[in-house]
Formats: sequence, structure tokens, C-alpha cells
Amino acid sequence: MPWRLWNFVLVCGLALLCNAHPIYAETSDKLQFSGFARVVLGYLDDKDAEYLNYDNSVSIDNESLIGLQADYQMMDSLAITGQLIGHSGEQRDSGIEWLYLTYAPTNTLKLKLGRQRTPFLNYSDVIDVGYAYPWATLPQQTYPRHFFSNFDGLMASYEIPSTLFVMNIEGYWGYFKDKVVVSEREMEAKTTGFHGLISHISFKNWTLRGSYHQGTTSVTLDDVTQFSGLLNQLGFSQSADSLATTGVTEVFQFSANYETVDYFVRGELNRIKADFIFVPDTDGYFLSTGYNYFPFSSYISYSKNTTDYEEPASDIPTGLSPILDGLSYNYLNIFEQLPVNSSEAYTLGTRWDIQPGLALKGEVSLIKGADNESAFFDIKNTAFDREALLYLIALEWVF
Amino acid sequence: MLLIIVAFISLSGRICFANNAITVVANTQDRGILLSRHEVRNLFMGTPLGYDFIAITLPPENQTRVIFNTKVIGLTESRIQSYWAQMRFTGRKKVPREVASEQLVLEYLQNNKGAVGYLPASLTLPDDLTVIYTIL
Repeated sequence: MPWRLWNFVLVCGLALLCNAHPIYAETSDKLQFSGFARVVLGYLDDKDAEYLNYDNSVSIDNESLIGLQADYQMMDSLAITGQLIGHSGEQRDSGIEWLYLTYAPTNTLKLKLGRQRTPFLNYSDVIDVGYAYPWATLPQQTYPRHFFSNFDGLMASYEIPSTLFVMNIEGYWGYFKDKVVVSEREMEAKTTGFHGLISHISFKNWTLRGSYHQGTTSVTLDDVTQFSGLLNQLGFSQSADSLATTGVTEVFQFSANYETVDYFVRGELNRIKADFIFVPDTDGYFLSTGYNYFPFSSYISYSKNTTDYEEPASDIPTGLSPILDGLSYNYLNIFEQLPVNSSEAYTLGTRWDIQPGLALKGEVSLIKGADNESAFFDIKNTAFDREALLYLIALEWVF
Repeated sequence: MLLIIVAFISLSGRICFANNAITVVANTQDRGILLSRHEVRNLFMGTPLGYDFIAITLPPENQTRVIFNTKVIGLTESRIQSYWAQMRFTGRKKVPREVASEQLVLEYLQNNKGAVGYLPASLTLPDDLTVIYTIL
């Protein structure tokens, strides 16, 4: 089904592109069509592992995509927006990414109701619009792919301009229900009471963003839930509780950008805290600086993350009976199989703005992890040294 | 001789400077409005100022736009395009309307109340438009 939709969207996109204005197509003052597309070629220079599904063959179908957006202004203060995305990668479902109503009672207040992008981090809501950022891909160390990309709910945005700075405050509330992939396992996830607060401040050449997000997430893992129930029945409540599949998740984020005509410096850090199994506590950050020499800009980046799981409980005694030993082994085995994805990446790249709306990027990243950890690699050979070069070329298009 | 060279350089610089001067012009009844560079930058980056102004711009390849980007916005054209991609595809702000040339900007400003555009300072303006910002 995703592939059929992908083909459909591709055809629609190409048809639109044939007639489109370079930036966006206006069919009337009220109805506007626009879109974005990216073609990403990747190659991992190592035969012993895969990284984000890139291996040592050139692939084009991991992060390539096309998106179409329609905006219809129903009244002066009321509009509807829909966005359809076709992903080439199997990890992301194609379909409706956005469908929301916008009500703007004043030119500083905006309310959006419906399916929207989740604004966890600075570029979370434009992660698919590669043209919007300098790099070929956002670092996995700071932008983990298991973050869900949209939610259903209400978002309010209020802008406060002053003679010195501009402040924007956004707050949202909603829920999420879909399949997610966490710790290499696909599971059904549901987040209720999902809410967050985001503040942007622009001051001279600075842009700062701080945000906080929270929700109660439950995941469906029948085997873990059954095993946890068994432990509870046997009186090992600490072990049973440590296999909880429901808990509160919190995300803290702060980013700072400084940019001029000649150069930019961008940094972002985040902390993810989850009090249930399979989602580790994670601290990540990246720092990037680039030099602009129009139509090119070249950059270097460093990103790093560390992940920690809860320690397993120790209330199952061992050495008393083979049954208890087996129980303890099975319990500890769940924790031992959890992938530890602490890693770091050094990136060097260049963006070429060929014309307004069209850019070509090339970058190379050295990804490193500790010998006994996964570090986001899918390891094919146990002798793999957790070090590999990832080459990416990305063609970015907005229309 | 040195004085002549210095005078020539100084004069050349002044001419060059004057040619690059930009004015920001509005169709407004309030003839006393004067904005700061920060306010003009915000206006053209989609932030409302409380005057009911609507910004219009020139096309990306236009020389006046390049000067305006450099002197007032303080970003390259490609970065501005990236910014608008981010704003558009997150539903935050709308891209300003593009008008093809300086002459058409003048016509648009005259015909649309609240419209604000930037023009070369050397351009002669009709009396019904107000200069709200100038940068040399």
C-alpha cells in the first residue's frame, strides 16, 4: 500500500512541478498548492554493519520522499491545511502527515486543530523538508528516529513583538496512537495527555528555542506484559514493575543559533526521560558551524548522545532452585538484549544552492561507538569496530 | 597627488554607498511612522508589528533584494529561502507576496493600503507614500 501511494504522490508531484511557480503554485488567492521533495543517496563505507539502513552499497530509498501541501483560506481568519507525504523508506508510513484547521483571531494569535507535526526539537516539524536546514541529514544522536512525527490535538501560538526582540510561545495538547520502532522492536504505542510548551526568542542575530514535552505512553508488548504478570504472581514485584510498558515520557530541549551573512553557529541539546522499559534515558547534543560563500556554504558538525536504561531489579534469588535460576536468567536476558545506542558523529559537508528552491548537499560523517554497544549500527559481523564513514548526497527541492 | 587619490576613493565610496541606499516605503495615513532596522527585519520575516502592515518583496535575483537582504535582514538569499520553507511547511507564517520589479512595487504600494516594500533610495516617490526606514 505505501508503495502504491508513493507512486501516486510521485505522479501528482511531477504533474504539479511541470506547471508550478518555482516557490509555490497559486491556483487562486484562496487555494494554494506547494510541496517539497528530497532524493538522498547514501553509502556506508563498511561491510560489517548498517547505519540507519545504509550499507556498503549505494541506496536511494532510505530517506527520499515527496510531500504535497494544500492550503485553503475559507475565511479571513479560518483556513484548512493538508499535507500528504510519500516516503521511499520502509521505516516511515506514507499518507496524511497533516490535516488541521487554523483559526487566527488576531495577527499574533493562532490556533490549530487537527493532525499536526510534533514540535519536539528545533527541526522536528520540518525533518522531512531537507531544504529547510543546511545538513544532508539531521544527526541521529540528537534526532532519534523513534520519535513519532505527528499528533492529533490543539496547538496555540502567540507572538510577542517588541522593539528589541520577538518572542513566540506555543502550547499544545493532544494524543498519539500508531506503530513505533523502539530498541529495534516494532510496537503499537499510545500517548495520552500529551502536551508541551515551546518558546522562541529572536534577538539580533540570535535565535533561541527552549521546550518541554510530556505524555503518558503505553506500548503493546504482549510477551513482556505476560512475563511481568508471571513475576507479579510469584511475588517478585520489583522485577515485575521494572518491566512496565506504561509510563511518563518527558523531553527537554534547548537550542541556540547565531547567524550572519557570512557564517552560522548552531547548537542543540535535549534530554529524553522515560520511566518504562525499552525507552532509555537519553542525553544528546550537536554543534555545527558553517561558512557561507554564496551559492555555497560549508559546515562542520559534532554530535553525541548517551543512553541509559533502568538497572534490572534483584529480587529474584538465584542458586536456590533451577526454576528460579531460569526465571532470573530470562528476566536479565530482556535487559541484556536492549541495544545501547550511545555514539558520536563528526560531519563535514557542503550545500550548493543551485537556484531558489533547489539545493544540492554532500556530506561525510564519521560515526563512532563503544566496542560493546550498538551505537545505532545494525551489526552484521561481531568483529565490527563500531566505526564507519557515511557518505550522503541529497537533492532538496521546494516548490 | 595622494590627496587626489584619497579624494577619489572617498568620492567613489560615497557614490557607491548612495547607490546602495535602500528605503522602506509604506502606504499609510500615519506620516510620522519611523521603524528601526530590527522592526523592518521582523516585518519582512513575517512578524506582525501592530501597524497592520503587509510586506511585499522583489524576486530573489533582483539586485535591490540582494542589497536589502545583506543590509537589513542580515542573511543570504539561500538562508532566507530555507527560513520560508520552514515557516511555510510548519504552518507558522506566510511568504510575502513577490512583485516582479521596482516599478511594479511602486504601483502595488500605491494601490494597496498597508502595503510595505523596499526600493532603491534614488527612486523618486509619489507624495502619497511614506518612507518609514532608510539605510545608506
